[in-house]
Amino acid sequence: MPIIMRMPEVLANVTEAILTSWMVPEGTAVTEGQPIAEVETEKALVEVTSEMNGVLARYLAPVGSTAQIGAPIAIFITQDEKGVDLDAFLAQESITQPAAPATAHAPEIPATKSNNEPVETAIEVPRERTSERLFASPLARKLAKSHGLDPELIIGTGPDGRIVRGDVEKFVASSGDKTVTVQAPASNEAIPHSRMRKAIARRLTESKSTVPHFYLNAECNVDLLLELRRQLNQWSSTKVSINDLIVKASAAAFGDVPDANVIWTDKELLRFADSDISIAVTTEKGLVTPVLRGVNKMSIFEVNQTALDLATRARQGRLKQHEIEGGSFSVTNLGMFGVQSFSAIINPPQSAILAVGAAKPKAIVVDGQIKIANTLELTLSVDHRAIDGALAAQWLSAFCKRIEEPMWVLI
Amino acid sequence: MTSHLDLTPAQPWVEITTQESDWASANPQTLENMLGQLHLIRAFEEAVLQLASEGLVHGPAHSSVGQEGGAVGSIIGLSTSDAINGSHRGHHQFLAKVINHVSQGKLDVTNLVTADIQNVLQRTMAEILGLAQGYCHGRGGSMHLQSFEAGALGTNAIVGGGVPLAAGNAWAQKKAGTRDITVTYFGDGAVNIGSVLETMNLASAWKLPMCFFIENNMYAVSTHVSEATGEPRLSARGLGFAIPSWQVDGMDPLAVHLAMKEAEEYMRNGGGPTIIEANVYRFFHQNGSFPGSAFGYRSKEEEASWRERDPLLRIAKEMIEIGLIDQAGVDSVRDQAVRACEIAMAELTQDNPTAAGKRMIRPELWPDTSFVNVGVRGDASELDGLENLEPSESKATTVEMKFVDAIAAVLDRRMETDSRIVVLGEDIHRLNGGTNGATKGLSKKYPDRILGTPISENAFVGLGGGMALDGRFIPVVEFMYPDFMWVAADQVFNQIGKARHMFGGQNAVPLVLRTKVAMGSGYGSQHLMDPAGIFATSPGWRIVAPSTPADYVGLMNAALALQDPVLVLEHVDLYQDLGQVPEGNLDYHIEFSKAAIRRKGSDVTVLTYLSMVKHSLTAVEQSGVDAEVIDLRWLDRASLDWVTIEESIKKTNAVLIVEQGAIGTSYGAWLTDEIQRRFFDYLDQPVTRVHGGEASPSISKVLERAAIAGVEEIVEGLAKIQRGMGGNR
Repeated sequence: MPIIMRMPEVLANVTEAILTSWMVPEGTAVTEGQPIAEVETEKALVEVTSEMNGVLARYLAPVGSTAQIGAPIAIFITQDEKGVDLDAFLAQESITQPAAPATAHAPEIPATKSNNEPVETAIEVPRERTSERLFASPLARKLAKSHGLDPELIIGTGPDGRIVRGDVEKFVASSGDKTVTVQAPASNEAIPHSRMRKAIARRLTESKSTVPHFYLNAECNVDLLLELRRQLNQWSSTKVSINDLIVKASAAAFGDVPDANVIWTDKELLRFADSDISIAVTTEKGLVTPVLRGVNKMSIFEVNQTALDLATRARQGRLKQHEIEGGSFSVTNLGMFGVQSFSAIINPPQSAILAVGAAKPKAIVVDGQIKIANTLELTLSVDHRAIDGALAAQWLSAFCKRIEEPMWVLI
Repeated sequence: MTSHLDLTPAQPWVEITTQESDWASANPQTLENMLGQLHLIRAFEEAVLQLASEGLVHGPAHSSVGQEGGAVGSIIGLSTSDAINGSHRGHHQFLAKVINHVSQGKLDVTNLVTADIQNVLQRTMAEILGLAQGYCHGRGGSMHLQSFEAGALGTNAIVGGGVPLAAGNAWAQKKAGTRDITVTYFGDGAVNIGSVLETMNLASAWKLPMCFFIENNMYAVSTHVSEATGEPRLSARGLGFAIPSWQVDGMDPLAVHLAMKEAEEYMRNGGGPTIIEANVYRFFHQNGSFPGSAFGYRSKEEEASWRERDPLLRIAKEMIEIGLIDQAGVDSVRDQAVRACEIAMAELTQDNPTAAGKRMIRPELWPDTSFVNVGVRGDASELDGLENLEPSESKATTVEMKFVDAIAAVLDRRMETDSRIVVLGEDIHRLNGGTNGATKGLSKKYPDRILGTPISENAFVGLGGGMALDGRFIPVVEFMYPDFMWVAADQVFNQIGKARHMFGGQNAVPLVLRTKVAMGSGYGSQHLMDPAGIFATSPGWRIVAPSTPADYVGLMNAALALQDPVLVLEHVDLYQDLGQVPEGNLDYHIEFSKAAIRRKGSDVTVLTYLSMVKHSLTAVEQSGVDAEVIDLRWLDRASLDWVTIEESIKKTNAVLIVEQGAIGTSYGAWLTDEIQRRFFDYLDQPVTRVHGGEASPSISKVLERAAIAGVEEIVEGLAKIQRGMGGNR
């Protein structure tokens, strides 16, 4: 009996995903756990693996198509079912093989359940949202126009997918209330938003506008840190970076100030036992923040290897979904670009992010004497709901102590 | 072998013929007046036919040529306070009455056309031509000629349509304690229609001082009277209604006059109605200037024989014989009349510059087209300055009252303070306040103003209409069930609903019509409609719908103060409801065009009325939708509270119109149309309606419930609105 494989929920709360590519041809035998397809959500490209040993007999989701979570995407059969009539099977299961991708999303048909149905007035027929016709209430059109919005951008949640007032209002709220229509000069290029761009925009806007950020600045003497790095890299084939050391130091600081290893939720604060720290990786598509789990338990070399692997795969768009979720803290470093200091935006649902600038030689005062030392500037952005000023300062102090006496980073 | 006893009619039926002696002893002034009027009318009618043949009369021209004797003979002895009305063929009666009035009973045949008479001829001609200077500003034309000043109540284009209205006028004359009478003119074609026969019965039952004057010219268009009835001696109808009846040669003006004199004696002394049948002949076809023989339904010989009996020839001959005038004098009368009509025509027409030898209407005499809707109804200014009270906001002390008792209470109070108010309907004088107790106690207090009617909706509402047009009394008419309005549709919509506008826009029609919606009572398909939708199509009618006892008091008071016909809608489901009514104050009015917001909300505007207000409130609580429920109270197009509705829709962006009855006659369709016109850009979803099914509700309890809308259907409607709001609200 053939088995239908369905689109898995690759990310919490998404309703659909794009089948970006099939990794094995139709008719290939695959084993359980073998990657068979790549699926794109708004956050990441995710590999979908086979859930069984068998033959991937037929694709049901064409490349590039959007499928609802739970929709059939492939048929699997066992080795000895090779001659089975798949069309009949599909018909029996009442599954239609979708054609080329359409930019349609099937709307809900409202059920009219009444005992005393007086008169059949209009029968509500579900409508495909095609590019020829946009359905929006007169009020919604008026509102969209007054905000300078193209209704095409708005997802409608009214009957038959009609765009209604609430949809426009939500769109306006999430995209900022003053939308300025910029007249692009003819020579500029218009770049349509990718899902990732849209996701970044949405998440960080949400973060900046709803999380009460406050900022602490510090400057650390990193002479000893730089020396430690040089020594470590004499031993290691891969190059340990300043960033790796900073990540490790952060985890150590959480060990010193465990109360700062918390995140805010509506109901309660969640305090973590381990340090799961995200690093910011710049990719072609945009900023990705994979998570290093349990940094407090890793050696510096493990931190280095893990970070390198995550960064590489991030740039290839081959991160797994669980690798980009979670964590309570991020480290982001623009020092390699010569940035002196900067304030970063907290990645929700985390509670803080450390922005690291470039290490530079500077004149400092030691025991009343002016000396030259390498320092770098740090800015810690903190969610005031979860962590108060004093607590954040404690953490930062612990961190700087470890960084300036880097032996304590390694321990 | 059974025994037979010849039964005799209750009233006499006679034929009157004049003798020589009658002519000899006739008042010479009367004869002179009749001669003058006959010629003026004849010349006038010929002028109208001339204009018609030139294409200058828009619509039909129903000439009375040949029938003048019946009109002049019967009207010559009437005073200004006596009234007449007539049918589509009414120029002769109208002119006779108005000339009577302006000449005050004295015509001088040597100087026939006074300035007043010239004016009458010209204004009547202008009205027939549809010109602004006419008696009804050109809006009435031939078939709606009216001059209240002269006692001409208005001709009517509906066959028999004016007869119930005449009864109302007669009722008012009697109740006011006068000796005046009303004469209603109609023909052999009309004598068989319901309005006429119902009114004969009603007039006889109530002893109204009115004369049913039948101009029997034997032809209804092309149908001979012998084809149309089993009894072509039309005055015979009197026997069936106990009405004394006279038959008379209508070509003999004196005979007609003498018959009318006998009838007047009977009527002015309180005897009740009379019937006079005058045998006349119209020399031309039903309308226009061709003889009937040209259309083949009668012979030239017949026409010729009647021409010899021309009343103009008859009276001239008799007067010459007595020595009151000579032929030259008669010719002079004719000349003066013809010349006067030529002058009138010249005032109203001019040479057509684009067609040589042809005439046209003088362009400056047409009414302004902006006049088209003026006077469809009054402007409600009669409500200015009256005491208004909003029960839901009032701080006055209140007392608990049942809805049906509030009806009786406010009617009592109004009848007590205003002796003009009269209540009429079936059984309202018995059963301790009619079929529901709405008039409890009133017939004992005001026995002569609480009138139980026979089952003749058409006649008694028409009587109410005539009463309202007269203005000395204010009728409150009840239709026991709304569907009975169909029985009376002509009087309700063609007469009462149009009277003000049709006759030029000035007549007040202060009539109140009460009826009760009875869905849920099991009375079946022919008793249970909601009439609001149909009445809303008639622009002359206003409609109010009180949902509480306190609102009933205020709306009934407003309805009685208005100078327009007002439908006051009641509902059986409300009759037993209890409500708080201001203590000791039954004189307040609900502000004109003011709806009541019964529940404030932000998600949908619910527009509803009557018993559906309370059902809507229940449904809103059940559904959890934050609805704004508006009790419309004023329902007709012109009185609707658009200010409140607009404010609400701009806030909620969604509309649910809730009513109980079947979709066909439903009220919400025109309202939906108007809302989408006015507020399209404020609508976030289509206007949604709750209403009953296709078929009229039947008597089977479950089928009745399935046919109408109730709380469950409103809850469904609210759910639909909720879905329409989408997923982000």
